[in-house]
Amino acid sequence: MAKRKEHSQDTLGPQDKDRTLSANRRTFLKTLASAGAAVSLSGKLAWANGEIGYWAKDLSSEKLIEMFTTILRIRWYERTCVDKMLTDPKYRGYNHFYAGQEAVATGVCANLNNSGGVKKADLIYSTHRPSGHAIAKGCDIRKMAAEYDFRATGLNKGYGAEMHIADKSIGFMGADGMIGPGPVMATGSAFAIRARGSKQVVVNFGGDGTYATPAFHGTLNNAALLKLPFIYVVENNLYHQYAHYSYSCPMKDIAKAANTYGIPGVVVDGQDVFQVYNAVKDAVDRARAGEGPTLIEAKTYRYYNHWGAPGAKAGELGAFGYDPLAISSFRPEREVRDWMARDPVDICRSVLINWGVLDKAESDKIEADVKKDVKKAFEWADKQPLCKPEDGLRNVFVEGTVPARQFG
Amino acid sequence: MPRKSWMYSVLEAVQHEMRQDDEMIWVFELTPPVASNPGKPVINLEKEFGRKRVVNTGIDEMWMAGCVLGSGLAGSKAVTYIPYQGNCMCFQMIQNHAGKLRHMTGGDAEMPIVFLLEMTGQTPGFAGQHSDYEIDTYYAHIPGVKTVIPSTPTDAKGMMVSAIRDPNPVVYLYPAGLRSLVEDVSDEQFETPLDKAAVRTTGSDITIVGSGASMPEVLKATKRLQKDGTKVEAIDLRSLKPMDTETLVKSVQKTKRLLTVDQSYYTLCPGAEVIARVAENVDGARYKRVAFPDAPPPASPEMFAWMRPNADHVVGAAKKLLG
Repeated sequence: MAKRKEHSQDTLGPQDKDRTLSANRRTFLKTLASAGAAVSLSGKLAWANGEIGYWAKDLSSEKLIEMFTTILRIRWYERTCVDKMLTDPKYRGYNHFYAGQEAVATGVCANLNNSGGVKKADLIYSTHRPSGHAIAKGCDIRKMAAEYDFRATGLNKGYGAEMHIADKSIGFMGADGMIGPGPVMATGSAFAIRARGSKQVVVNFGGDGTYATPAFHGTLNNAALLKLPFIYVVENNLYHQYAHYSYSCPMKDIAKAANTYGIPGVVVDGQDVFQVYNAVKDAVDRARAGEGPTLIEAKTYRYYNHWGAPGAKAGELGAFGYDPLAISSFRPEREVRDWMARDPVDICRSVLINWGVLDKAESDKIEADVKKDVKKAFEWADKQPLCKPEDGLRNVFVEGTVPARQFG
Repeated sequence: MPRKSWMYSVLEAVQHEMRQDDEMIWVFELTPPVASNPGKPVINLEKEFGRKRVVNTGIDEMWMAGCVLGSGLAGSKAVTYIPYQGNCMCFQMIQNHAGKLRHMTGGDAEMPIVFLLEMTGQTPGFAGQHSDYEIDTYYAHIPGVKTVIPSTPTDAKGMMVSAIRDPNPVVYLYPAGLRSLVEDVSDEQFETPLDKAAVRTTGSDITIVGSGASMPEVLKATKRLQKDGTKVEAIDLRSLKPMDTETLVKSVQKTKRLLTVDQSYYTLCPGAEVIARVAENVDGARYKRVAFPDAPPPASPEMFAWMRPNADHVVGAAKKLLG
């Protein structure tokens, strides 16, 4: 199974184009951008050439730095969490680590409106691996850290923890521990948005494992039939739980599935935040214009095992070797290291330095500030109160509490 | 007799049946059919029987359940192990198809199949979707499907053998919180009936009825009550459908006090059915139910541990009934 696309971005199916030309064109656009030329090829020209534009070149320096900062915030949130799990016996939190995939969440959410509640913000539906999505969408990392450790003042008051965090005020519709139903609900939100004539869009994040679920078909079929403002971002990190995706998908590129529904299917380099940004911008523009859904497959990789921190060492990035639960297929250490050689943090940093947006010293300062912020967030979380036992009977319905039944 | 873990006991039963029947199928996702046990050979069904018969599928529990149902209809014995995340994704296939096909076809359809449905184990910290024991009620409600729930490694083995050999579809619930139980389990293949409750202790003061994951707490409470001189009849339902009404009624006719204990939600928990059946047949008895409140299990261990029925709750409720 190829682990990496030679060209970071392909448009498949009906929009399949001359790859060589595309690659050359991108190189040209990148050269322009990195030369700092005040040339802006319009989106229309890019469309005329039948190609996705390199839209990230048009972003302000502030926005680009914000994207870099977001990637770092995710990375250091995760690394701090790993280290807490490995070194702090009092820490009770856990995580399905997202490290390695940061460019995907960041590139997607940089295209979205991330405030104003469910009637205004663009909505995202997350997975059981939600930290990156949550941070990119704008969740308060202090409250996230508190929630991960089951604190009463956590993002969801200790009821949900990592796998069920949600914050509708910014359009983060929530993590979901199940595989399948999430995207279906996401199309439901898109349906309501279309019905009320709002310009919002809905993005569903799903792993490669979601391809196997019947919900995958129902989601894309209905999204295409109803021309919903919907984007399905498959984060193909090669493994669903403990099995390689070849156990659940007969194709190399899941994006090919888009052909069946007559919608664009795009493969993108999930390690390059700007490539993700470019592809998602087209999809968001399409969705807002009422032209229907897009399926985007980001080729990416997680640096940790499916769940928790087996194989990880405090202070070091990544987990290597066998996960005791990975019996059917395991991840060879060389595969993990190969992917880490194309790290989303490094790629983003070097592009911004090449573009003259940042220099090394500025980049180091941003990273140091992020580390400090994250450290403070976890320290704040550590001091938050634990939940009151009897609050478990609240929040079942909008009103009141349910009776205790455990005492007979 | 060698000491064996729960899953080793189950896979030993399956391995034996698959060796006897070279058409038998095992379908899984996430949880490979592999078990090891001190002093015993490793069991790996995938390796031993090959991927034609033992398949690791994508995440599609509807298909997994449909696959064994279709296999059964086509004349092959089949078992699927559906992990806890998906144990209701397959509901339609079991409820509206497996449960009705025999009746709807006037007895024509044969379904010698087992749906091994894992229940999460109520691990504190995982919250609603990954820590409940609620599906016992859902599946026990279905006509045409036997629903069993062993609570010991011995019963897990014997009931798996019976379930595979049973010509009816069987939902075999596996409370994953019991995975760490170890006991002496015979190497021989043996059957445990799918329609008989097990009387774990006999007594004349009070009947305490549990099933699956509630049994360890019931037995702990029973010991404490016995120390105080209370004669407890502790009954493990083992089968929710068919339910062994006779054993329950006989016991409460003697004790006149019935306490049911469930980790499932209070409303329509298995204990509710137990009490209804006994009340129809016994006059002058008193009843109580201990169950999980009608709330999804929260992530916070503080909230969760308080809500989850334990031996203290069982002892407290028993004393109220006795007092």
